[in-house]
Formats: sequence, C-alpha cells, structure tokens
Amino acid sequence: MPFRKFINWLTSLFGSKKSFSLGLYGNVNAGKSTLANRISKDWTGEEMSQVSEIPHETREVIKKERVSLQVDGVSITMNLLDMPGIATKVDYRDFVKRGMKAADAQKRAKEATKGIIEAIKWLEHVDAALLVMDACEDPYTQVNITILGNLEARKIPVIIVANKIDKKNAKPDRIKNAFPQHRLVEVSALKGTHVDKLYKAIAECAK
Amino acid sequence: MGIELQFISAEALRDKTPPQKVEFILEEIKKSKDRILVIEGSLSNVEERELIAKTMQLVSKKFPGIEVASLGEQSSDFKAQLIKLLGGKPAGLTVVGPSTLVKQIKRDPNKLSLLTGK
Repeated sequence: MPFRKFINWLTSLFGSKKSFSLGLYGNVNAGKSTLANRISKDWTGEEMSQVSEIPHETREVIKKERVSLQVDGVSITMNLLDMPGIATKVDYRDFVKRGMKAADAQKRAKEATKGIIEAIKWLEHVDAALLVMDACEDPYTQVNITILGNLEARKIPVIIVANKIDKKNAKPDRIKNAFPQHRLVEVSALKGTHVDKLYKAIAECAK
Repeated sequence: MGIELQFISAEALRDKTPPQKVEFILEEIKKSKDRILVIEGSLSNVEERELIAKTMQLVSKKFPGIEVASLGEQSSDFKAQLIKLLGGKPAGLTVVGPSTLVKQIKRDPNKLSLLTGK
C-alpha cells in the first residue's frame, strides 16, 4: 500500500529511532513463516516468505528490512528475519514420502542443512527473538531448549510465541508450564488472533 | 544386531574444548549405526549449538542426523568452566543417538524416554 509505505518512510525519518533485528526461531513447521508474513503484511502491506506444508520450505534467512511498528504511540523500526527451522536431522526420504523426486528431495535436504547452520550463526547477531512453538506439539524439544539457552546466555530478549491456537488440539498451557520464566504470547498467525498482544510485547522488548 | 548403549564418564570429556567434545560425540555416533551414547553431564549452550551445526555439516543419504536430549540443568559455559577448574563433575546426563535408530526422545524435566526403531 503506497500510503502505508509513505507513513513508514516518514516515521523512519522523524519517528523514534529504535531500530533492531528481530529473528523468528523455532522448530521446523512451527509456523514461523506464516507469522513473519502476518507481521510483514500488517505493517508493510506485503508478505515476505513462502509457506508450505512440506518441512524446510524456508532454507535461507529471509530478511524484511525497515518494518515499522506503531504501538501505543511508540514507533519501532526493525529488520524482520525469518529463520529456517532448526532441526537435529534432515532426512531426504521424508520429502520423498511427500511426493518429491529423490534428486529434488536430496537437493532440498542439502539446502535445509545449510539453512540450519545459517540460522544458528544468526543467534549471535539478532537483537531480540521470537521463539515460535506449535501449540499442538510437545514444546520440550532439544531445539527449543538449545535456542532458549543460547539466547539467554547472550541476554537477548526472547518472546515465546505459542502459535496455532486456532487448532482444536492446541495446548498453549503446556508451553507456559515448560518455560514459566519466559514471556509468552498465544497467537494464531494464520487467523491473526492476538497478534496485537504480540506487537505490544515486541514494542516492550525494543524499549 | 542389538542396540549398543555406550556410557561415557565426565572424566573422558573433561579436558576437551566444546568443538573437541562435539567431534568426539559425532565420531562415536558415526562408528556404529546401532550405538546410543549416554554421557555423564549435560551439554553447555555452546556445545549444544555446535553439535547441531556440526551434525548438519555431516548429513548425508546414510546419515540424516541425530536425536539428542540432556537431562538436568543446562550449565552455562562459565559455570561449566568453573566446575571443571574446581575438579567437580557436571550434573545431569546427555543421550545422543543416530536418528536412523533413535526415532524420538520424549522429555520432561526429570525423565527421558527413548523410542528406538529401524
């Protein structure tokens, strides 16, 4: 939307000067790209990532620069980083089972491993992070623990996002109970439920 | 062939740097597709991160990766160094196995359950 872009441009010139990198981390298929698209669409009018049911759709860090949020009179300009999902294994046969040809599946697996390494490297460079978890899945995974541990060690602010709360089997309380010491926001990135609460949390993180 | 459980004492890894420790773990895992390591002590933040990154570099058709879980408090690198300097042993334990063998590790703060299969 040209008008929104114009407002964002004006804000970037005269608004408050908060600018930081916000990384979206999490397990594969937690809904990171759907959330990145939601945030990007809400504040720039454009989506930023491709979304797919097949795991490892995001295989490189996708950046959307100068995304300006205005929350409660505070303006924050941030670089949004949609990270590849982190995993401890990438088996090309999982892609074959979903209908991909073996050669394509192997190529996807190779790219996915590189993406995971890139996402891990970025852990040292983000200013804040959203750790996106699928509220229907067990939150107590090694990937979530490793990401949280590394962010905590660097004192990087993190907001846990309990995603997919629109699904019937979603249990966001499990996430709350597993990581009680962290700020948590329950959302449905797909439906846009409670994203306003997430924007408030991001704004507070950036202060 | 059955599953081999290899128990590794904290002493065996005591003088290793994080990259050396990760290399050791992955070498042991790659020696046998039927081997699960049970390591005394939990991994530090850096070691966990290194382990995932290094595993990704090794992924191939035959080696799709690992399943790993630590039990007990995750020690910071500073705390791990301090314990090492004072001659103590790290708390907790770590279980690592090839993902072709270990299908899932379920965890809660005080319990790990391994689901194996081929």
